[in-house]
Parts: sequence; structure tokens; C-alpha cells
Amino acid sequence: MEHIKTIETRNLCESAKNGGCGECQTSCQSACKTSCGIANQECENKESK
Amino acid sequence: MIHQYKLGGWNIVLDVCSGAVHAVDEVAYDIIGLFEENSREEVLAAMAEKYPQISAGELAECYDQVQGLKDSGKLFAPDTFAPMAGKLKEKSAGVVKALCLHIAHTCNLNCSYCFASQGKYHGERAVMSFEVGKRALEFLIENSGTRRNLEVDFFGGEPLMNFQVVKDLVAYARSIEKAKGKNFRFTLTTNGVLVDDDVIQWANRECHNVVLSLDGRKEIHDRYRVDYAGNGSWEKIVPKFQKFVEAREGKGYYMRGTFTHANPDFLQDIQQMLDLGFSELSMEPVVAAPGDPSALTEEDLAIVMEQYEKLAELMLQRDREGKPFTFYHYMIDLTGGPCIYKRISGCGSGTEYMAVTPWGDLYPCHQFVGEEKFKLGDIWKGVTNAEIQGEFAACNVYAHPECRDCWARLYCSGGCAANAYHATGSVTGVYEQGCRLFRKRMECAIMVAVARALGNG
Repeated sequence: MEHIKTIETRNLCESAKNGGCGECQTSCQSACKTSCGIANQECENKESK
Repeated sequence: MIHQYKLGGWNIVLDVCSGAVHAVDEVAYDIIGLFEENSREEVLAAMAEKYPQISAGELAECYDQVQGLKDSGKLFAPDTFAPMAGKLKEKSAGVVKALCLHIAHTCNLNCSYCFASQGKYHGERAVMSFEVGKRALEFLIENSGTRRNLEVDFFGGEPLMNFQVVKDLVAYARSIEKAKGKNFRFTLTTNGVLVDDDVIQWANRECHNVVLSLDGRKEIHDRYRVDYAGNGSWEKIVPKFQKFVEAREGKGYYMRGTFTHANPDFLQDIQQMLDLGFSELSMEPVVAAPGDPSALTEEDLAIVMEQYEKLAELMLQRDREGKPFTFYHYMIDLTGGPCIYKRISGCGSGTEYMAVTPWGDLYPCHQFVGEEKFKLGDIWKGVTNAEIQGEFAACNVYAHPECRDCWARLYCSGGCAANAYHATGSVTGVYEQGCRLFRKRMECAIMVAVARALGNG
């Protein structure tokens, strides 16, 4: 019996290998301006995913 | 580290360091909760006692599934990222990719909750000249290294009070971006009072995003968002925003509201925005000094937490009805979100992101403008205050002692430096109230993502 369903996610440990290009949006820019979150940002590096 | 919680009928387990998200049944939920501190035999004995109706073989199978996830790095993954914390900023030291242009330190509204003190930022009224703005754009290009995408926000105060300069600056940027190998993304943040057909057409042509300030219900909006004669602005701006958004035809926008002690039941304001035809929404908790009449109280926070849960339910309900909407703080891309470097590097204020005052001074971000000791330099000489910039460069998620034990640290990257400073006197502190709300938002956002992934029936 399946007790656990794993949602497809980006593997953060793996993302260390090709990450860090820096092209992504600056965290606070463009919407909230009074709080910081990076979870809602897109990765702009299409090759690293 | 893991974080497990129950919400919306789901049992959810987050593996903090791998980023894995699991939806589990009751047995697996309990096994995971005991897994790290107990032996296999102890866990299975406890499960046999709690679930007498489930066979020993079935319980053992569930345990082995948990063990399998651990072995494949999707549960209890260790945090091995600390040595990488400063790397992204080191690699991109001196590179600026986003500017907040304070195009007008003046406003045609007089909102008492404004963090920028009615646009003046505790200083004199001023507007940015074309020459200062042009130099700011050149400063950005000169300091952007190999970055192609450059972000510029027109901010205030009310930027449309200096609209001709905004238009002229965009025209200038467009005239040079190709030759410089850059792509400017402009955002306009406006209270709507001066929005007209000219603004709408220009913004639809030039702006990657527009942020439109609306607090929701008329009585809520008009409580704070009043003109200098004390008249509410809701009636005046809502038709303009509706026209603006309709004309966007799918281009980015956010209706952006603030909720305060006056409306901790902010879901009614979200509903009002939906009723007005808006679908891209953001509602932010006010950031105010304790004792300020607009500040959220402890009693308010309990209401707000409940509202966040109801908001998640509303999103799923509207999905089922074919009327989806976006809530900025529930946007989470589990498969395509930021890499680990981004997640541990902090918000980028003072390094890759800076604010420019009407007279060309540089500050770490818009929320530090007016705090003289945080002045970094200016757009002609560049950053001259290396000490302050160093503080921001070192401000990554591992620089906040309180973040080390927080499951949400790779979703917030250490939080807002300005909020931390105003709450604790240090940019490496934490704004505890903001953290509590952030954690709740992430739980809700991930629950919505899980429901969408596994079938929102």
C-alpha cells in the first residue's frame, strides 16, 4: 500500500551544481515591497533545472 | 530537518534541505514524526499500539517507505549549504541588477500608515530630474556585469506625479538597451489617482508589471487612503484600475493592498477585489511600530492566521469553479523555483538591489531611504560606504541565528533586512511577527500546491 505521495519538486541539493547564475528577479522587487520571500520566484536559468 | 503539518485535509511533510514535499497518510505521518529519535522496533511498537487494525507487515512496509525516502535524500537531508552561503554574493560582488527609482518623494494621497511618511521619507518633498534618472540607468548598466535582465521600479511617493520623467527615462533606456546587451524590465507602482488613458497605453507598452494599490473594501481602503482634504480615494481609483487591468490583456499586474488592525479579516478585502474583476492579488500585513494604531495586535494575528487558511480554501474552491486567481504570497513553483544559492543568499538589498533617491543617493533598499547612516553612496561615485555594504553582503540566511532552527528558512532566505533592522536594530535580527505570518503563508501555499498536484477534487 502506498502511504506516501511525493510531489515533484526541484532538488535543492542538485541545484547547487549548476545554480547561482544570478539572472533571477531581485527578491523584493516588483510586488510586495514590504516583506521578503523567494519561494514565489522563477528560476531564469533554463539549463540548470 | 523536516516540518510536518496538517491542513485542508492533507498531511504534509516538508524535507527542508532537499526541498522535497510529501503528502502522507496518518500512519506515515506518525512514523515520520518518531523516526529520527527512535529505533525501528520502538517506532513499530508504538504504531502497533496506536493502529491495532493495521497488520504488523503493513506497518513495517510503511516504515520501509520512510527509510527509502531517507536513503534517497528526500527525508531528513542534512543542511550542507552553509559553506555556500556567501558564494553567490562573492561571485557577483559589485554587480547591481535592480534599482528602485524614487521618482517622486511626494504623493497626492495622505495615508497615515505609509512607511514612507506620505512619500517624503521623513525628508523634503522632491521629484527626480531626468538627468538624475538617466545617470541612475547608466549606473545600473555600468555595474550590471554580464547580467542581461535589469529591473527598474518607478516608486515613490506617487511616481505618476513625475510621469513625464518616467516616460523620458524609459524611452532613454529603450534607446540604449540593445546596444548594451541588456533587457530592461520596468515596474510602476501607483495609487491610481493620476491613471488615465495615456498612462494605461504607456504602461501596457513598456511595463513588465504594474502594482496598483487597493486595500479592498471601500470602507477599509478609505480609512487610510485619503487625499489631503481627508476624502477617500476608492470611488475615484477603482474604475481606473478596472480599465487599466482590462487593457493589460494578460500582462503582469498586482492589486496590492495592506491590511492593518482595522481589517485582520482581510479575506473580505480579497473577495472584494475578486468581485471587482481582479485576479492577480497581493495583500500585505502592515509593518508598523508597536503601539501604532494600525499595528496588528496579538488578537489580530490569530484572526489573520485563520484568514490565511480560508484564503487557501477559497483558492482551491475557485480552481474547481474554473475561476482561479493568484495570491502573490501563495505563488510557489515547486519544480522551477530558485536554486539553493538564491535561497540562502538573502534578499539582495544593498548589493544587487538598491534604491535611488530623487537627488541620486544610493540606499540598500527603499525601506532604508531617509536613514542617513545607511546611505551607500551616490550614482556618480558609486558605493563609497563599504562598511554598510559589507553588512548587507554578509546578510545571508546563516547570518541570522534565529533562522538556523526554522523550517521556512529556504523559502524566505532570511527575510526582510529592513523589517529586521526596525524590529531589532540589526539587519541580521529577525522580525518575529513577520516570520510567524510568513511560515503560515508557506504552509498554506504548499498545501495549495499539493492539492493542485494530486487532484483538487
